[in-house]
Amino acid sequence: MTSPPSPAYEGVPPTIEPLEVPIGERGLWRRMPKKVWVGVGIVATYILVALLAPVIAPYDPLLINPANSLASPTADHLLGTDQLGRDIFSRVLYAARVDLPIGFLGAFLPAIAGTLLGALAGFYGRWVDTVIMRTADVVQAFPAYILVIVLVFALGQGARSIIIAFTVLAWVVYARIIRGEVLRVRDLDYVHAARVAGLRNLRILRVHVFPNVINQTIVYLPSDIVFATLALASFSFLGLGIPPPTAEWGAMIADGQPFITTNWWFATVPGLAIVGLGLGLSLIGEGFEEALRG
Amino acid sequence: MGRFGFVGKRLLQVIPMLFGIVLVVFMVLQVTPGDPARQIAGLRASEADLDEVRESLGLNDSVLEQYGRYVGNVLQGDLGFSYKSRKPVASIIGDRIGVTVWLMGVGLLLVVLISVPLGVISALRKDRPIDHIIRGLGLLGMSMPAFWTGVILLLLVANTTGWFPSGGFGETFWEKAHHIFLPALTLAIASSPFIIRGLRAEMISVLESDYISTGRSIGVAGSRLVRRFVLRNAAGPGITLVAIEAGFLLFGAVVIETTFALPGLGQGLVIAARGRDLPSVQGYTLLFALAVVTIYLLSDIITAILDPRVEVGK
Repeated sequence: MTSPPSPAYEGVPPTIEPLEVPIGERGLWRRMPKKVWVGVGIVATYILVALLAPVIAPYDPLLINPANSLASPTADHLLGTDQLGRDIFSRVLYAARVDLPIGFLGAFLPAIAGTLLGALAGFYGRWVDTVIMRTADVVQAFPAYILVIVLVFALGQGARSIIIAFTVLAWVVYARIIRGEVLRVRDLDYVHAARVAGLRNLRILRVHVFPNVINQTIVYLPSDIVFATLALASFSFLGLGIPPPTAEWGAMIADGQPFITTNWWFATVPGLAIVGLGLGLSLIGEGFEEALRG
Repeated sequence: MGRFGFVGKRLLQVIPMLFGIVLVVFMVLQVTPGDPARQIAGLRASEADLDEVRESLGLNDSVLEQYGRYVGNVLQGDLGFSYKSRKPVASIIGDRIGVTVWLMGVGLLLVVLISVPLGVISALRKDRPIDHIIRGLGLLGMSMPAFWTGVILLLLVANTTGWFPSGGFGETFWEKAHHIFLPALTLAIASSPFIIRGLRAEMISVLESDYISTGRSIGVAGSRLVRRFVLRNAAGPGITLVAIEAGFLLFGAVVIETTFALPGLGQGLVIAARGRDLPSVQGYTLLFALAVVTIYLLSDIITAILDPRVEVGK
């Protein structure tokens, strides 16, 4: 059974089902459904494109050539040129260097922060728990997307603001999940045994508790990367994200929209790039969930 | 405590939350770079002019005083004046709210029309080809940015068939419905996958429960079972899901109104944010927050009324 939808940015705690298989179990990777490998292949291709963009891209993504603006696809310009005569193909490739890192950071940072805070809250309890979880309540009471707009407005345009806004809002879901898991694991026999054996708290947390609760984070990460990437593209589309002239998929779609009747590929291709990345990540996420939930 | 006690208590919870939201929005925007006085008085204003503007806006008072005054004004329906158009923010919002209500209303209707049948079929035919197809389409829908879907619909439907306008809003009821259809469809495509997924999971867990097996074994017809028991039990969580989606739907409205040049609240917020028009941003944010909080509240109340098991007061 799959869990109900639970994008972290909506700030609502997902229904948590205990995972049945620990992540380190032998043979787990062999039991991963095929879709995980398809997804990994897709995402790896994107990462390669991002890394190799300067090598594979035929043109400088920022090189303006007004004499040859809005050209149709030719052998020289595989996807034609944009309103300023920049090579669209090169810009689509280079945009991976913007969308990928921000999408990944925008999901990883809240996951790390939330996992750590949730583990601390669950393990130490008392005032640590109170402070962390009450803060989580406050953040969660807000309509998250609206708060992202306000935060980005206040912090100014750019990658940094968007990552900060995501981190401030999305850690909460991870903190709740991990706290619940830690509470469950904390009273298991082996943790008691470790305590009796005289191990220090931090070591118990790191060596015995953490590896057993980290799965939950891993299951939610891929779909959060999709959300972070989509949100980044949306903000840039609205003119509130990555400022021009940087190549970014959402901003390119905004550039291309006025020319949709004549140069339909201009706005279509950057969107396909986003959809492909999203599908790859979603396949990984679904596959993880199937394998780990048994 | 009875159900009405629950509703009352839930209503009371909303009030401090609204004050909190206003406070946070106010504080966040306080630290926003840029001098409001300079924005109002213009680039060539003298230092004395700026002081005068600051004094008239009360910008020299402490933040708490400003917050108190802002809350007082908001309670009287005064959201301040736009830096750009100099019109009252409340009246700008009044002009724009109809479009967004239309978009959300028709969008939500389409979401239900798409999600409920697909979710039910997917659950009843679990792991059959049709289930795989629906889930595959869901993954695709989740990966498509709403604004891009909108652009593609414009390209494929509006431009090739000419059946739908490519943007703007109308005057009469039918004009409005005609203009809102493609944007609402875009909104539905973006948010249905989540509802379908949740509904499917919910229905499968009901289908696998004991009382359904009992019903089956004593020979209750399948379709009756689904209608009478499964759907009914999945309805509560379904409503909660739609409410959870509300925040997402509103953000979708922001993006989609911009794509289709619809003069609604979302487009207004984007224009205000781009123009760094602080009072307008505050006003829109407040209204969106109020909308989301109200939707959560309504969904909790509806769920409590539908389901007597929701224990109330815990």
